[in-house]
Amino acid sequence: MAVSLSKGGNISLSKEAPGLTEIVVGLGWDARKTDGVEFDLDASVFVTGENDKVLNDSSFIFYNNKLSADGSIEHLGDNRSGAGEGDDEQVNVKLTGLAADVKKLVFAVTIHDAEARKQSFGQVNNAYIRVVNKADGKEIARFDLSEDASVETAMIFGELYRHGAEFKFKAIGQGYAGGLKPLAEAHGVSIG
Amino acid sequence: MTSLVPGGNAPVATGSITVEIAYSPIPGADIDVSAFALAESGKVRSDNDMCFYGQPNVQGGAVQMADASSGRAVFNVDLSRLEAAVDKVALTATIHENKASFDRVASLKVTVSGGVEAQIPTSGMKETALILGEFYRRQGQWKFRCVAQGFAGGLAPLATHFGVDIADAPAPSPAAAPTPPPAPPAPAKSAISLSKVTLDKSRSSISLEKTAAGFGEIRVNLNWNRGKSGGFFGKSKAIDLDLGCLYELQDGEKSVIQALGNQFGELDYEPFIKLMGDDRTGAVAGGEWLHINGKKWSEIKRILIFAFIYEGAPDWKATDGVVTIFVPGQPEIEVRLNEEGGRLGCCAIALLENDNGAVKVTRRVDFHSNQEPMDKAYGWGMRWRAGSK
Repeated sequence: MAVSLSKGGNISLSKEAPGLTEIVVGLGWDARKTDGVEFDLDASVFVTGENDKVLNDSSFIFYNNKLSADGSIEHLGDNRSGAGEGDDEQVNVKLTGLAADVKKLVFAVTIHDAEARKQSFGQVNNAYIRVVNKADGKEIARFDLSEDASVETAMIFGELYRHGAEFKFKAIGQGYAGGLKPLAEAHGVSIG
Repeated sequence: MTSLVPGGNAPVATGSITVEIAYSPIPGADIDVSAFALAESGKVRSDNDMCFYGQPNVQGGAVQMADASSGRAVFNVDLSRLEAAVDKVALTATIHENKASFDRVASLKVTVSGGVEAQIPTSGMKETALILGEFYRRQGQWKFRCVAQGFAGGLAPLATHFGVDIADAPAPSPAAAPTPPPAPPAPAKSAISLSKVTLDKSRSSISLEKTAAGFGEIRVNLNWNRGKSGGFFGKSKAIDLDLGCLYELQDGEKSVIQALGNQFGELDYEPFIKLMGDDRTGAVAGGEWLHINGKKWSEIKRILIFAFIYEGAPDWKATDGVVTIFVPGQPEIEVRLNEEGGRLGCCAIALLENDNGAVKVTRRVDFHSNQEPMDKAYGWGMRWRAGSK
């Protein structure tokens, strides 16, 4: 039975699933059912060190940089419309392969071209993030965050972080205005 | 006051609340506001969960349309009294017959009593049907979310989105209709019809194709203006219109159904047509009704619906009479008695014919001095004698 987190809540993945080595972080939302421009949502991962900044520009995992340099984090691709059941985007994380200086993985979702399309997270239904144990396919934790959003166009859904020898996951649900660029810059990525 | 932008949400008061939708009207295009009581699936459970101009009171009064005038609609909603299976109540606005899109509406605002309002940004909107917002359950509490999204295709795709079956408006048929094609397979479910077909001189007939479920009970209503009492000095001019029909069955049996002579007919047995009592004054709401057992349509050859004036001046135009034919799952068919009938006391209104299983309805509105010459004119071939009731 997966733990359902509320905003700000956290859970020890290592305790919930002893022996955990690899996880799939799934992010989902419902496709637009009304007329108008489709929502195109993109998941990104910021791999940060002690200071909450990315270790280097290649530790910003997104649709143009799907694999981390050491291969431990892999973005499985972009679903343009959110159509279909299940996760819309998935990120594979080999916990045992993460370098020691990696303290935190920040999972964010942004609405592509939100400003021009006049779209925001409040209009996206049933957005969630979940953590699945790759070994047995069981869901460990889930956070349903639609309720906490309104005008935001970029949101940090959750964070995976080291706590001593454990890996923990925290439900964030923090929104930002302005989309991916300011969010990336806030995490120390230099955007050209 | 909490002001919501599209996507924003806020808690709402418990108990009875008032929801006002205020808008700038568009000249020449009506705006209809509706509410849909939705299950967890996001769909209505039945067509009875749609609160609109044709059904202003749903959920046992928990959702009521209290006012719908130009520029304003008001709902009284008691969220605590909704059935437990209702998870959401969506408020919608639609522009009748898609005559304009919402960017023509300068201002559109939803106000929920207790201090929540949402101004819907209509600038640049190409939609003709909008989901304004929705009440929804969240952890045991009711909240309201401003949605402001919709459909360019109007009420039909919107209703479909919420799981309401909309009967398609039949395409106008040419005056001299060729033999209709075999009945297409049609859904057996009943559907709400938002359309109404008026048969008039320019379009005088329509064919209703048989569906898998048959026709159900076909109801024919005659309603008319009850006449003015004329005040102190005026003469009472109450008009008594009687509804009746000539019928012919496939087995050759033919007769008349009318209050005169107490020939009320039968639904379950031949002739499968029944006059549902006589309203002598027209004051009873709803006028006179004739029911036809649609399951037995195959045994019926033709029915001529007529009205006759038993008492009162036969000024047909002044009666403002209208015959409406209700067939489950089909648009209402309306025929208005808006012709001069001279002094003739009997009006043949509509002919229902069994056309390869379909119900072909043809507007007639021709006048005769009584039933006998009408019979002759239509080649029914019965023998008549005078009677009274």
